[in-house]
Amino acid sequence: MNALLPLFVLLCLGVGAFRRVPLYDVFLEGARTGIDTARRIVPALIAMLCAIRTFSACGLMDALCALCAPALNAVGIPPQVLPLMLLKPLSGSASLAVLKTILDTYGPDSRIGLVASVMMGSSETVFYTCGVYLAAAGVKKSRHTVPCALLAWLAGSVAAGFLI
Amino acid sequence: MLHVLFGGLLGLALLWGLARGSGEAVASAALTAAGEGVQSAIGMAGGFALFCGLMEILKRAGAIDGLARRIRPLLVLLLGRDVPEDAWPYVTMNLAANMLGLGNAATPMGIEAARRMAHGETATNALCLFLVINSSSVQVLPTSVIALRAAAGSGQPGAIVLPALLATGLSTAVGILACKIAQRRP
Repeated sequence: MNALLPLFVLLCLGVGAFRRVPLYDVFLEGARTGIDTARRIVPALIAMLCAIRTFSACGLMDALCALCAPALNAVGIPPQVLPLMLLKPLSGSASLAVLKTILDTYGPDSRIGLVASVMMGSSETVFYTCGVYLAAAGVKKSRHTVPCALLAWLAGSVAAGFLI
Repeated sequence: MLHVLFGGLLGLALLWGLARGSGEAVASAALTAAGEGVQSAIGMAGGFALFCGLMEILKRAGAIDGLARRIRPLLVLLLGRDVPEDAWPYVTMNLAANMLGLGNAATPMGIEAARRMAHGETATNALCLFLVINSSSVQVLPTSVIALRAAAGSGQPGAIVLPALLATGLSTAVGILACKIAQRRP
């Protein structure tokens, strides 16, 4: 399993070389968009980190987690990842901020950190994705789209708790 | 929606803090968090750049087209005859780009696909299913999570790749199943 990342890098380089892609130039081009992305998310990250940290600092987050703990424990999800579960469908930067908080607090390799990481990787931002595509297509009646997408998100979250 | 989220969380926290006499501590948490926002973006930037660079190589090597061709039979099976012929290239390319985590390349194609699949103002069965698949994530390598884990000092930032793949596979399957059941009702 630890070989996955190095193998992936090798695959990229191998496929690129085989197809005669100018590796260095193209890598730089892509890396530049990566830096741009990181730069672009800074304001949103600040906003959401502030909101979430203050919400935790005043004690409301703990109260909310304690309230939902029995239900979450029953399905094997650590209650500490509840904020991520709630925010992931709403906002990419908010969930990134929550994930960072969880990783910093409990450690990236703890069970809580691992469950949170898997959760984060198992779904897109449901409301954003659906919102953008529906608006672009001019669709007003989205029928069962959002409920089904949220059900999928719930299944992914439960699976994250089950798998780790 | 995000206005409510941002304003609500921050407002509630400050009111609650003031009411309990810890307003100062809550406000200073906001200031610390703002600084951390910048630091974490810098910490992640390296990982982002590395993966985006590698993905660009894959993209240039024709990976999106190749993948799009391979997943088409499966998608025909799932989405059925509901999809107009001119939407197919965009549907397959969008999902292929999403599998590779190339969000920038995927979004315009997804919008084009959605536009061609919609019948007026009501979403068709195929469009609903396409959106559910899209929002349940089909990304093979959760690169931003790996970058964030590395920035947080993880010894094994890639340890979550396999479980994440299983979890996202399961969530996509549940989403598809739910759609297939829900679309029977008028």
